[in-house]
Amino acid sequence: MYKVRVTMLALMASLATGCANEPRSRDTANPNVSGETLALQVCSNCHGATGNSTSPQFPNLAAQQEAYIVAQLGAFKAHSRQDPPGPEYMWGLSRSLTEKQIQELASHFAAQKPERQLVEGRPERIEAGKAIFTGGIPDKGIPPCASCHGPEGKGNATFPRLAGQHVDYLVKQLAGFQRTNDRPSATLMKTVAHDLSHENIVNVADYLQAMPNHQER
Amino acid sequence: MRTTPANFPSMLTRMLLRAMALIIVAVTLCPDDAAALPTFARQTGQNCQACHAGGQFPELTPYGRLFKLTGYTIGERTLPFAGMAVVSDSSVSNRSKSDDPKEDFQKNNSLIFATGSVFAAGKITDNLGAFLQVTYDNYASQSADGQFHGHTNADNMDIRYADRSIDNSHDWIWGVSANSNPSVSDVWNTAAAWMQYVPVPSPTSSSFIDGSAPYPGFAAGSNIAGVTAYAFWNQTLYLEAGGYRSASGVASFMSAGIADADKTKLQGTNPYWRAALSHEWGPNSIMVGTSGMVADIYDDPLDTSDPTTIHHFRNIGVDSQYQYLLDPHTVTVQFAYTRDNQRIPAFLANQPVQDANGNPLPNTNSTDTTNVFRAKASYIYEAKYGTSLGFFNQTGTTDSALYDPTRVYGNISGNPAVRGWTSEVFWTPVQNVRIGLQFTAYDKYNGASHNYDGSGRNASDNNSLFFYVWGAY
Ligand code: HEC
Ligand code: HEC
Repeated sequence: MYKVRVTMLALMASLATGCANEPRSRDTANPNVSGETLALQVCSNCHGATGNSTSPQFPNLAAQQEAYIVAQLGAFKAHSRQDPPGPEYMWGLSRSLTEKQIQELASHFAAQKPERQLVEGRPERIEAGKAIFTGGIPDKGIPPCASCHGPEGKGNATFPRLAGQHVDYLVKQLAGFQRTNDRPSATLMKTVAHDLSHENIVNVADYLQAMPNHQER
Repeated sequence: MRTTPANFPSMLTRMLLRAMALIIVAVTLCPDDAAALPTFARQTGQNCQACHAGGQFPELTPYGRLFKLTGYTIGERTLPFAGMAVVSDSSVSNRSKSDDPKEDFQKNNSLIFATGSVFAAGKITDNLGAFLQVTYDNYASQSADGQFHGHTNADNMDIRYADRSIDNSHDWIWGVSANSNPSVSDVWNTAAAWMQYVPVPSPTSSSFIDGSAPYPGFAAGSNIAGVTAYAFWNQTLYLEAGGYRSASGVASFMSAGIADADKTKLQGTNPYWRAALSHEWGPNSIMVGTSGMVADIYDDPLDTSDPTTIHHFRNIGVDSQYQYLLDPHTVTVQFAYTRDNQRIPAFLANQPVQDANGNPLPNTNSTDTTNVFRAKASYIYEAKYGTSLGFFNQTGTTDSALYDPTRVYGNISGNPAVRGWTSEVFWTPVQNVRIGLQFTAYDKYNGASHNYDGSGRNASDNNSLFFYVWGAY
């Protein structure tokens, strides 16, 4: 009984003092917790501490463009990005983040090193995807993805990095651009994706996940 | 196994009609933005399926496990209350082999408000969080005039202090949990306190057979008080150890509302341990683990003066869980096995027993062993449409102490064997309402497949259909 009592007293004591533990807090509504801390204590649970997520359910954030991350967190917070996983996973977590925290979170993940991903697609799919990425599909008037996302798929400012992103996530985004207005900031992508076939989408996604990225910083 | 009896189709139609009525009520009453434990969902702002695999509570996703292990402290503090209620209807396959079907199969085939729970749960400070469940059982007891009486008591309780040290190369989570039930602090669904069909029919609240399919568990049961310390290293190795005592003194709230005669009274501090290895790759995660507890339990909770009346239990279990989670699919496969060794106090061991005809049976045992194995596979599509199949098999030592010639409830073999299958289909129209239909088929019951009670009742006569509507807010 003695042990139980001591623990209960300790619990009561810390409850009473309400002690915030800012360097290791998981409080998404405390403006004094740094973005770095939130990235490690909260975001890491899904996106990985280094922004390399294990599950394809969660997009990789490692080396993602800082401006793009800031824009997306803003879009989740404002509830304008509404493809289903957004409301399900990201709206709540972002609802009380301050501008400063968002900036710090973005620079944390932008500074991480992307890990090399598994090559899952068949070689002929990856080849076909590469052709779309570098040359577009002139017949259908689809521009090369590389023209906006960069020749190595690293992105630029609000053009997101695509290299090494999970196939499942890429396919869901492209299908979403095509069929919905769930991401209103993606007007450019709506036009680009309009005439992509499902086959095109899978091919380019296979290529993007497999894109060599291990040498990059 | 027998073919489905003739009364099932008509019963199904009735259940379906009732279900439709209930769904309409439930959907209109419950707005869309709550979750399995809605207070946690309000705290993180996330959907239930962020933490519960395919939205099937209480099974946790990898993220749900980390949420719990870090002390329920992710998110922002909100009003920490939630409620949950279960309305159900169950039906036993054969009611003819009974002397008094009305008495033996109470509440059979009638829609009842089975249980309700209130939760106080959530973040308290940056390191402290709680999950406190108080449950109301509408059919907890029955008085001499046959009336049922509702009762409220402490259910699962877990108060924890947790901390985490993490950077790009290492990750340590550690904490201390004060809880009311061995393994309630666990984060895998194959842990004894969590591996159940939810909601599970409660044997006191409907017909007798519901809820009598065995689950691996610890002899010490719940409503005791323990403190455990745990650590999770690199999301790979999990270790936990602690001790449990009777819930008294400051910890008496952990058994609040339980009559003294129904409490588990433990002698001293009883050790519990848990070790698990976890691994995630892509959308897959797997865990292989073991747990155990040694418990000294007084035979009579009202008399803890005599140490020679203690039952000594040693429970050891192994369990494993595999999950595949990638929208729109959720697949889970689970196994759990526990072995229970019991040393029976001297005053109950080696006692003479006679059967119903006055013939002597072997004397009662001084030690008993029971093994329970459970396996379950489930698939859920879009976190909405789910199905599962479960197998259970309890085996153990034959002991004349179990001999009981009572019709329906009895056991004339003295063997504890129970074996069968449970299958379920369910639908989650909105994330905080679930409607399900379970069918449990027994091919062994109280030691035998045929005539287990000595009056001609077969295991399959106990096959049962259970319909429920679960809601939380
Ligand atoms: C419970 C899991 C979970 C946690 C924790 C989580 N996220 Fe997310 N995150 C997701 C999911 C799922 C998506 C995909 C959302 C969608 O498709 O709309 C996502 C998407 C994102 C995106 C958009 C990525 C892209 O390529 O467009 C950013 C940026 C992001 N999260 C940042 C964060 C930050 C910062 C945190 C910590 C404050 C965090 N996430 C915590 C699950 C999570
Ligand atoms: C005209 C410029 C442009 C072209 C060409 C373009 N994109 Fe985009 N893409 C964007 C912008 C801008 C966004 C960010 C949308 C937003 O802010 O919501 C984006 C976003 C995406 C995303 C979502 C990334 C994420 O992390 O959520 C994917 C996937 C994508 N593009 C794939 C492609 C593919 C494949 C092609 C070639 C077929 C392509 N893009 C061509 C501008 C372009």
